[in-house]
Amino acid sequence: MQADWLWGLAGGLMIGTAGALYLLIHGRIMGASGILGGLVDGTERQNRLERLAFLAGLVLAPLLLAGAWGAQTNLTGNWALILGGGLLVGFGTRLANGCTSGHGVCGISRLSWRGIVATLFYILAGGVTMALLRHALGWL
Amino acid sequence: MRALSAFLTGGLFGLGLLVSGMTDTLKVQGWLDVFGDWDPTLAFVMGGAILPMVLAWRIAARRRVSVLGDAMPGPARRGIGGDLVLGSVLFGAGWALAGLCPGPALAVLGFGGMGGVGFLVAMCGGMVLAKPLRSRGSALPKGSQMDIRHLTPDYAVSPQITPEDMATLKGLGFTTVIDNRPDGEIPAEWSAEVMAEAAAAQGLAFVVNPIRPGDFSDAVLAAQGAAIAGGGKVFAYCASGNRSSCAWAMSAPGPLSTEERIAIPARFGYNLEGLRARIAALRG
Repeated sequence: MQADWLWGLAGGLMIGTAGALYLLIHGRIMGASGILGGLVDGTERQNRLERLAFLAGLVLAPLLLAGAWGAQTNLTGNWALILGGGLLVGFGTRLANGCTSGHGVCGISRLSWRGIVATLFYILAGGVTMALLRHALGWL
Repeated sequence: MRALSAFLTGGLFGLGLLVSGMTDTLKVQGWLDVFGDWDPTLAFVMGGAILPMVLAWRIAARRRVSVLGDAMPGPARRGIGGDLVLGSVLFGAGWALAGLCPGPALAVLGFGGMGGVGFLVAMCGGMVLAKPLRSRGSALPKGSQMDIRHLTPDYAVSPQITPEDMATLKGLGFTTVIDNRPDGEIPAEWSAEVMAEAAAAQGLAFVVNPIRPGDFSDAVLAAQGAAIAGGGKVFAYCASGNRSSCAWAMSAPGPLSTEERIAIPARFGYNLEGLRARIAALRG
């Protein structure tokens, strides 16, 4: 679609605005893996309610509007890819202490070297994995 | 209020992910398919998201606390270790496999079917597995946002702290904690009573010396001076550390000149020029 990049930009601005509000109102960095991870592994006991409320909004808003928006996840039906991908994403983001939102959006915007390096490596690794799976092995 | 604001912010984040196409795994995989039919949309998403954040960081740098009174995040952590690189490589590989990263994995929970649920469960499993390997990074425990500013080796100030921070202060060798914030301006969970209890549990002396902005009465200064003169390492907090710094400048015993009493807090961004005459009169 021609307008994809425009929607991408508009959605990106919304994501960035959410991050800006979280920083200026709550004094916290909006990182999805950190907000979820701290609850899942029980390491962060502060601000539990705030974290749960954030996650509830993150799940509910798309749930309510996905139908009207006509959103498709196009998620693979291959359970090996789903579970393997989930494990790697969960493990990797916690080891690296951040994901696309924390390192990518919030880190790069303050010129954090850790954010920039992490983003380079996960995009590089994603690109290589995609090349292997789709073009070398033909799995995707 | 806090929960509502977080809920709305999470909702906006989720809608942004939906609108941008980040919840469409084919789009994400298309972005990672650099050697095939590359889809550049995600570059616009990233760019669009970074713009408001650049502005937000600039505003944050000029504020000591958030709208809700939380301490702003400290400076970005430094040091690029193996954990950061290895973790990011594993994350990138997993991102390519299914086309979901943590934010979108949550955003698709409501409409992504069983596959989406399975991905989220596996992701949480991976997070738990990583727990024993997570590096501690800084001297402060994870989750602590304390930004301790040493005006002297024995006197430090900071923005609002939490009861959990008392153990850290104890570990850093502090013996006395001064609360310079009137209870009226802080949430109940950080009231002087709660903080005093947390300090007592760590064996720290706790001095309640509330200062309304700009109101440095003789009684306030006498109390601050007495706590500092009491010896040991003293830690004082208020909303930003500014009042704790001003009170120190006007009350700390010792040979420091007026010039030093203004210049030292200035290193941390506290402007005491307006108090020059009073500092000179009291301590010069």
